[in-house]
Amino acid sequence: MNWWRHIAAAELRKILAFRSDFWVTFIGQALVQLLIARALWQSIFAGSEAEVMNGFTLEMMTLYYLIVPIGQKMLTGENVGFLSREIYDGTFSRYLIYPLSFFQYKAITYLTHSAFYGLQLILIFTAYNFFVKTAGFSTLLPGTLLFLMAAFAYMSIAMIVELLSLWAENIWSLMVLVRFFCLFFGGGYLPLTFFPEELQRVLVYTPFPYLVSLPVRTTMGLAPPNEIVHGALVLVAWAIVFYFIAHLIWRRGQYKYNGVGI
Amino acid sequence: MIAVKGLRKTFTTHIKEPGLAGSLRALVKRETVTKEALKSVDLEIQQGEIIGLIGANGAGKTTLVKILAGIVHPTAGEATVLGFKPWERNNEYRRQMCLIMGQKAQVWWDLPALDSFLLLKEIYQIDDRLYRENVEFLAETLMVKDHLKTQVRKLSLGERMKVELMAALLHRPRVIFLDEPTIGLDLSAQKAVREFLKSYQREFRPVTILTSHYMEDIKELCPRIVIMKEGSFVYDGPLAEVQRMLGDEKCLSVTTRERTFKFTIARTELAARTAEIFAQNDVLDLNIQDPSIEDVIESIMKNGTAL
Repeated sequence: MNWWRHIAAAELRKILAFRSDFWVTFIGQALVQLLIARALWQSIFAGSEAEVMNGFTLEMMTLYYLIVPIGQKMLTGENVGFLSREIYDGTFSRYLIYPLSFFQYKAITYLTHSAFYGLQLILIFTAYNFFVKTAGFSTLLPGTLLFLMAAFAYMSIAMIVELLSLWAENIWSLMVLVRFFCLFFGGGYLPLTFFPEELQRVLVYTPFPYLVSLPVRTTMGLAPPNEIVHGALVLVAWAIVFYFIAHLIWRRGQYKYNGVGI
Repeated sequence: MIAVKGLRKTFTTHIKEPGLAGSLRALVKRETVTKEALKSVDLEIQQGEIIGLIGANGAGKTTLVKILAGIVHPTAGEATVLGFKPWERNNEYRRQMCLIMGQKAQVWWDLPALDSFLLLKEIYQIDDRLYRENVEFLAETLMVKDHLKTQVRKLSLGERMKVELMAALLHRPRVIFLDEPTIGLDLSAQKAVREFLKSYQREFRPVTILTSHYMEDIKELCPRIVIMKEGSFVYDGPLAEVQRMLGDEKCLSVTTRERTFKFTIARTELAARTAEIFAQNDVLDLNIQDPSIEDVIESIMKNGTAL
């Protein structure tokens, strides 16, 4: 069956439909983030007079903050509200009419966005490494693949929250809160090595470090192979659990859907 | 083809008193109201039939269509379409039906229509030959050949509606739900859509349920109509029967020096009442007309009876 390939292709065409938006997203944002991260951490390193902070040199820290925003975009795929918005405005109805599973449809469109940003990650990382030579290239592919797996896990978490819009009239704050938790405790705002050790030990039992920190560290070549394999298995396990919960919520929530909207 | 028995649907919605106090109170305790959108309706439609569903806003037309299309679950009752329970969303059923909502786009706005069609071809598993034939036939009949490579968001409302129709009919559905397909269109676009639907119905004989507020749509397309009022059917029968109801009535418009008044009387009373009016009033003008079909339907919608 080719339909999933065509859905992905159509989604990609949507991303490419707006020329200026494409270039701003693809190149502009990364450059701005690079400049901000570099300026910020340069002054922090200068202020502390340290060469290495919590295992990161200035070059590595800059690379970390170059990868993280692109990784975040991979994680959040179609962005906040990718399901709830359609439930509220009634366009969600189309997935119920077409002879396919809306879960599969949404997963494909979501992961197409993630894959697009994955390509951005590969290009930006390669360009940065070409000039600065901070990390090798051998871990770029496993890192990107881990990000894609993390994107699937995060999508399942997001689906759980977004489907609550079948009951509640506004779930925006909840969505933003969950996103903040995932990124903050995943190392999206600060490397986890900056967190208290007790907290780091607790976080291992949550999905958060596998969503951001592990894929970033893998991409940078900082994670040993056994940690990568273990992390990938944990990610798959969490993704299955969240996906299953999202299905359960949909099974109950579908009775609440009334297809009204703008 | 479509059999509905005792179908009911209730919606519960939150309400809030106006003003700041109402908003504060709603933070702690919210009140709800339950609305019965469908009150145990029965309906049977055969292959090739096209019925017009008429009613005021909130009468339950769209709810019925949504249930039959499988979007919404009913609260109680039974319905089968082509032998399937619509809300179970069997893929076999969904491959044979379509829903066109005049107020909601179903094609992808950021893509040219042809890209959307290609995607639908895969989703509905339409073979290459049939797809080519259908695109050609539909584009030709709807006269949108020149617009298929333009981003849908850049099309006019009429062109977009035609593209929506094409997208919905690509897989040659056996059951068609049309929810206000001509809403917002100008007169010539409305006419074009109606002509197309008529020719499509003649050629492929699907079961079609059409809801519309435009009487022209109903008069042109639907030999049978169902009139809904507050979730119930108040009339289910041939449109011609409604037209026959007109035969027994006459509308009088009388203008005197003081005022103009209008009323409807039985045809048999016409001579006597007219004489009486002339005798009792200083009549400047008197106009006698058959009531319009819109008048009859409006009366049925308001009172549950004809005039």
